[in-house]
Amino acid sequence: MKRIFLWWGERALLLLVSCIVLFPILWMFLTAFKRPRDAYSISLHFKPTLSNFVTVFSDPWNLGEMVVNSVTVAATTVLIAVPCAALAAYSFSRFRVRGRKFLFFLILSTQFIPAVVIILPFFLMFRTLGLLDTRIALIVVNLAIVTPFVIWMLKGFIDAIPTDSEEAALIDGASRFRVIRDIVLPMAAPGVLTATIFCFILTWNEFLFALILTRRNAVTLPVGLVSFRTEQGDLWNLMSAAGVMITVPIFIMALLIQKHFTRGMTAGAVK
Amino acid sequence: MAEVKLVDVEKRYGSFLAVPKQSLTIEEGEFLVLLGPSGCGKTTTMRMIAGLEEITAGDLMIGGERVNDKPPKDRDIAMVFQNYGLYPHMTVAENIGYPLKLRGFNRQAREARVAETAEKVELGKLLKRRPSELSGGQRQRVALARAIVRTPKLFLMDEPLSNLDAKLRVTMRAELKHLHHELGVTTVYVTHDQMEAMTLASRVAVMRKGRIVQLDTPKMIYSEPANLFVASFIGSPPMNLIDGVISQGTFTAPGVNLPVSAADRGNVVLGIRPEELDLVPADGEGLFSGLLYALELTGESTLVTLREGTTVVCARGGADFDAPIGTRCALVPKAGARLHLFDKDSGERV
Repeated sequence: MKRIFLWWGERALLLLVSCIVLFPILWMFLTAFKRPRDAYSISLHFKPTLSNFVTVFSDPWNLGEMVVNSVTVAATTVLIAVPCAALAAYSFSRFRVRGRKFLFFLILSTQFIPAVVIILPFFLMFRTLGLLDTRIALIVVNLAIVTPFVIWMLKGFIDAIPTDSEEAALIDGASRFRVIRDIVLPMAAPGVLTATIFCFILTWNEFLFALILTRRNAVTLPVGLVSFRTEQGDLWNLMSAAGVMITVPIFIMALLIQKHFTRGMTAGAVK
Repeated sequence: MAEVKLVDVEKRYGSFLAVPKQSLTIEEGEFLVLLGPSGCGKTTTMRMIAGLEEITAGDLMIGGERVNDKPPKDRDIAMVFQNYGLYPHMTVAENIGYPLKLRGFNRQAREARVAETAEKVELGKLLKRRPSELSGGQRQRVALARAIVRTPKLFLMDEPLSNLDAKLRVTMRAELKHLHHELGVTTVYVTHDQMEAMTLASRVAVMRKGRIVQLDTPKMIYSEPANLFVASFIGSPPMNLIDGVISQGTFTAPGVNLPVSAADRGNVVLGIRPEELDLVPADGEGLFSGLLYALELTGESTLVTLREGTTVVCARGGADFDAPIGTRCALVPKAGARLHLFDKDSGERV
């Protein structure tokens, strides 16, 4: 009896939490397909339309440009950050160098600095370099934000890989670099994938730096959302359509690679 | 094939001395076993030869060439690890073929060599499987195949059989012995299992606290242990070691009275192997007379333990030996039995 009660209680709680988490997302999706006059109505009966999506991609909103900016910034950041971080993480994990712990702490400590504190120096620096309102500035800033995080994440994964296979490869005739490429990265694949996604999501969602460092040319999607708060009020239907455009790629990505998260690659390496 | 020479090699981890300065020459084509209890430095010694550990001091020569500063890949060695060290994301064929791939063999040549090697260790039917789909014995054979797929100067084996069950271990031991006979490659083998050491080795180096305490053929290690440590480590059941004194040509200890040809001295340890003792009726003249303490039937024989005061002596009796616990029995050395005398303080052979 007690067990049945617990079973139902657990389900009810899960359902409640899911509802709380999913409701705003569901509401955003619904609003994206509503006409402006339906946007403020709480009724679920409305005539769906795609006009919001057409509007956000045309003048003056031009969401297309922002999509290009966001994709370019996020993809470039991932492509640079993950390989660099993987090498750094491997070094931190495997080489016993003097000052290793301190260096690792130093890298991690950059994560403790609130973004607001450094945003002004960044602004001045990029202005001096003539890089304000460019994707390069955003990529550089995002690299500084995500790389320490990815190093830390990957180090955890690499630490968990037994060194036997690596040593076997070294003796079989592989160089250290070849060992990383042929043995460590494939074995750490779930970790690398997880880090890649986190890195992509962090960069994709990054708001504060993009808001301050861009004006017209390099504006990314999250900053673009703000432009739907106009003098005529908040354009909820358009903002929701843009919101859908931001969230859908992340959803699809998560769905596609979800199964890789759980599949361990180290099974069978050692006893 | 190559000769391996360790000249005054030492290994330190910070201030901790793992392997004190020592020299060792492994002859070309030899099967040398490093034997010792856990933590005695045998694996560290092997890893220094492999290039997986830096050498703190001294020189390591393989085939007459100093290799201290050479990375493992340039030492032309193959190694079998205790935990196999397979590549889990590769198939059995890819695992075995990896050393060839690194040496630039083309696909065809690789496949032919892999198939040939796999047949040798009876893995022919499993080539497309991944390590996770194999049993422990099969994984061990993949590790072995990966080592023998090419002919290196030197084989290193780090307790390769320790993860296998007892039956498989015996089979694999024979396979290793046969492989060494067939390939004739210099082999260094690390184990804490004296049975493996005795059956496989051309020579055994018994190690204790980082030092080689005896280096000799298995036969000599067994019959002429250099000190108390080797005497007690080799043999199952171990050698009987009885503390006593020698006076007027007789070794005496509680329950023991045995003529020996040695000068008088105190603080001496007498060693005699259980299989060199015979059980005799209690009323006869015996080396050792005591009360029956335990009987252990091993199948082909019975281990008989007698006790008198602080002295405990074990002997190997016939499989049909039986007597009630507590019976008084006596033991005499068989004709031609070896008696070993050790100094109790230094542990060295007298």
